Amino acid sequence: MDNVRNFCIIAHIDHGKSTLADRLIQTCGGVSDREFRDQILDSMDLERERGITIKSNTITLPFTSKKDGRTYRLNLIDTPGHVDFSHEVRRSLMSCEGALLLVDASQGVEAQTVANLYLALEFDLELLPVINKIDLPSADVDRAREEIDSDLGLDPFEAVEVSAKTGLGVEDLLEALVEKLPPPEGDPGAQLQALIFDAQYDVYRGVVMLVRVKDGTLKKGQDIFLMHTKKTYQVEEVGLLKLEREASECLEAGNVGYVIAGVKSVRDITIGDTVTDAKNRSAEALPGYRPARPVVFASLYPIASDEYEDLTAALEKLSLNDAALTYEKDSSAALGFGFRCGFLGLLHLEVVQQRLEREFGLALLLSAPTVSYRVKLKTGEELVVDNPVFFPDPSEIEATYEPYIKAQIWIPERYVGTIMELCRDRRADDIQLRYLTQSRVEVNSILPLGEVLFDFYDKLKSYTQGYGSFDYEMFEYRETRIVKVDILVNGEPVDALSQLTHEDRARQRALHYCERLEETIPRQQFKIAIQGAIGGKIIARTTINAYRKDVTAKCYGGDITRKRKLLEKQREGKKKMKVVGSVEIPQEAFVAVLKSEAGK
Amino acid sequence: MRPGLYVHVPFCSAICPYCDFAVRVGDAADGAGFVDSLLVELNGLATGDALSDLPAVATAVSRLVAGEFGRFDTIYLGGGTPSVLAERDLRRLLEALRERLPVDDDVKFFFEANPEDVTAQSLRLWNDLGVSMLSLGIQSFDSDQLRFLGRRHHADEARRAVQMALEAGFDTVSIDLIYGLPGQTEDAWRRELETAAHLDPQHLSCYELEIHPRTVFGKRSARGELRELSEDDQADLFLLTHRHLAEHGFEGYEVSNFARSPEHRSAHNAKYWHHVPYLGLGPSAHSYAPTGEGGVRWWNERHTRRWARSLGEGRAAVDDHEALSFGDLAFEALMLGLRTVDGVDCRRLERDFGVDILTGHAKQIEIWRVQGLVTRTDHRIRPTVAGMALADRLVTDLQLEHEITTEIDRA
Ligand SMILES: Nc1nc2c(ncn2[C@@H]2O[C@H](COP(=O)(O)OP(=O)(O)OP(=O)(O)O)[C@@H](O)[C@H]2O)c(=O)[nH]1
Ligand code: SF4
Ligand SMILES: [Mg+2]
Repeated sequence: MDNVRNFCIIAHIDHGKSTLADRLIQTCGGVSDREFRDQILDSMDLERERGITIKSNTITLPFTSKKDGRTYRLNLIDTPGHVDFSHEVRRSLMSCEGALLLVDASQGVEAQTVANLYLALEFDLELLPVINKIDLPSADVDRAREEIDSDLGLDPFEAVEVSAKTGLGVEDLLEALVEKLPPPEGDPGAQLQALIFDAQYDVYRGVVMLVRVKDGTLKKGQDIFLMHTKKTYQVEEVGLLKLEREASECLEAGNVGYVIAGVKSVRDITIGDTVTDAKNRSAEALPGYRPARPVVFASLYPIASDEYEDLTAALEKLSLNDAALTYEKDSSAALGFGFRCGFLGLLHLEVVQQRLEREFGLALLLSAPTVSYRVKLKTGEELVVDNPVFFPDPSEIEATYEPYIKAQIWIPERYVGTIMELCRDRRADDIQLRYLTQSRVEVNSILPLGEVLFDFYDKLKSYTQGYGSFDYEMFEYRETRIVKVDILVNGEPVDALSQLTHEDRARQRALHYCERLEETIPRQQFKIAIQGAIGGKIIARTTINAYRKDVTAKCYGGDITRKRKLLEKQREGKKKMKVVGSVEIPQEAFVAVLKSEAGK
Repeated sequence: MRPGLYVHVPFCSAICPYCDFAVRVGDAADGAGFVDSLLVELNGLATGDALSDLPAVATAVSRLVAGEFGRFDTIYLGGGTPSVLAERDLRRLLEALRERLPVDDDVKFFFEANPEDVTAQSLRLWNDLGVSMLSLGIQSFDSDQLRFLGRRHHADEARRAVQMALEAGFDTVSIDLIYGLPGQTEDAWRRELETAAHLDPQHLSCYELEIHPRTVFGKRSARGELRELSEDDQADLFLLTHRHLAEHGFEGYEVSNFARSPEHRSAHNAKYWHHVPYLGLGPSAHSYAPTGEGGVRWWNERHTRRWARSLGEGRAAVDDHEALSFGDLAFEALMLGLRTVDGVDCRRLERDFGVDILTGHAKQIEIWRVQGLVTRTDHRIRPTVAGMALADRLVTDLQLEHEITTEIDRA
């Protein structure tokens, strides 16, 4: 066990974790040249497309030290840098003794560098600072060292300098890490205790649990007991996580690997559970995970209502792979059955939606994302409302509170004016500037979370020509004036389009919805009024005139068949429309309104 | 009404950017070989040597050819541009039709021509061949619009062609016009109608420009280079057309067709609208005949080369067919009836197809009436001009209602 090292790579987004993992894998010969591709551990399409890591990935590598001649087994976990996925980092940290903390030599220490450092310290991990991207002309290694000392409180002289891109310094890094990071503790002969830190679903084999064995040994044929779900299984296969799974005889204390034990349904396991021997049960479970608390909520509906069952199954499977996703049944008069889901942030929401669409082939509709509000009623009672459906009538409300975040925004100095304006527009409570260098500024601002849900990041990027970056943490609830905006079609509310928003935003948002509907609802036999309302008060209005012309000029000679088929198809299309009041609303109208949300 | 005969001539001197007919570039020289193929097709049908291997189609053709539905009393030469055909080819084609098929002695002959083909000589020929209705593909009297539409004639040529045709003494001269061009104003279109009305033809066809995906215009529109008029602008032009021509004494007897008086209506087109049997020859031509279970419609290969190849190999050039149930026929009757001033004869609908819309759809029809879209005289529903503008919509509304009520009935 002395020659095992369990470690993860942590850093701010884009500081080069996955690229460094590539170099480590190649240097250790974990992949043939033919199989290799950049950011090889980022295997999801979405990760490759966006060039970011969404899920932590584990790989086992052999490494023979030139210094001491010993061969080590390295269990490396590449983690995501984006704040929305910090639950992934947390999970990874729990199965490691050490971590490489990466700092981009041209950017220096940034928000998630610090956040991840604290996380690692919380789990008592040994840290090895690594300065990356030293090949860049803009690299400032001295400044990076300084910040490692002052901002992170780590020994700057321990830091290893590398270029993950060129491979420079990677050999030294490997030598340093086997020397500095501790081997796992634990006794292969003791009572079995293994932590399930992730899981995958394999169509042929069922659930594949990824585990870190703390004590004891996991063997093929052994009966195991899951302490939380209280279920017993027989181990069919254990092994190491190479690029593909590689079966082995057993997994000993200190090791990371996978277990297949005939678990058929994803509902039968929980991430963070402890695996122990069925016949020789451990009395205590390992400390599990603190469940991530969602901050953004939205409802998901299948566009085709017969896909509801598929959506149910897909969410079940996805949540196994994405432990931070929460969901419960929901239904809308206009859109049918769906799920109310909780996400850790907007990127998380987007990722979940896209994974459902791509990996499970579903077409989905997403309601307007909302945050979780607190409402104090006149009766003194307090409610938490994260779904417009449950927002009380205005007459019963004493006060409303919304969550605020502490935002840190990093921008070149020349954009200060524009970005302060953007923050003010988003109802910033407080804006403070800190000059990091003469040309780089950190803007600290207290902002309502609900205001950054919509395109704040896009705006920031476009206003700063891509130079701005942004991070936030939850701060506190503050009293504001939240209202529920309903959208009425000929007087009938369309429940799926209701939304909670600040009073000052209500009119603008209502009008936006009304206009999109005006564009997408086809004309009908009568005039249609589309209104936005708060309680009984109308705050926005558009109208769709009755139709006036719908006839083709020609009935092509004797080709009546073509004409009839065309009309029959239109008739089918009409059957698929949702009828609200007596107005037929095509599915596209919901799609247009709800999709345009992001671009709002 | 007795059966009609249609012959499709697929050649034009150039292809207009909005055209989605089965056409190709061709001239009189191509016409000669083409007429040879037509005669092969005709012979195959008349002798029964080259009937379709679709039994329903073969039976229907045999019955048409044997005169079981009566003698053909209209022949329509359409296209394409039938006026590209040389005199010799036109003559031998007509002769063969008369010889091989049960054609009535008083047959009415309909002919389409482009203005650039109208000369004193060609008019004499067409007259001599017995053309009773001559349709001229004028499209516009404005040179800019003509250029936009990719036509091969000028405004003054258009006017002169109409005048000459009118002087030549056909029973009916018809002018085809296109409106609803991008950016066209009501005033501009009114001027065109004015010009047409003053030339005083017996018949006018005014088609709204439609953009079809696989045409040049369709592609330009997909790229955003061509903007179709809004629904409101289209509606305004449509209503203007009907109103204006009515003021000049033309009855809008169909969505796009206007006649000085009922005898100048197109007797051939009426057959399509009333499920009267018709036989089509030439590429893409459609045919129809009633059967015991409803009706059958079939159509020829769309591409001229493929059509000719089938015939060359001694086979019928039929591409496919469709068996129509009485329900289908009723739907078509509604769909087509709501496009014409005569409207839908509900009693006939019930007698011929067993569909009683007066009881089944009483509520919907009443709503239309109140909205001014139809008028009702005991068993007939006639669309108003506003109703005609919505004919496609009305028929889908009606069917929808019909299905909802039958669903409720079942529940
Ligand atoms: N020049 C240079 N570029 C590098 C180096 N390391 C990484 N990069 C580039 O930096 C970008 C981000 O690299 P990744 O490895 O995806 O970063 P990451 O930390 O895994 O990012 P997340 O997983 O999204 O947090 C990529 O374009 C890499 O090519 C380096 O040493 N030198
Ligand atoms: S002349 Fe008529 S048939 Fe020929 S291409 Fe033009 S529109 Fe089409
Ligand atoms: Mg990465």
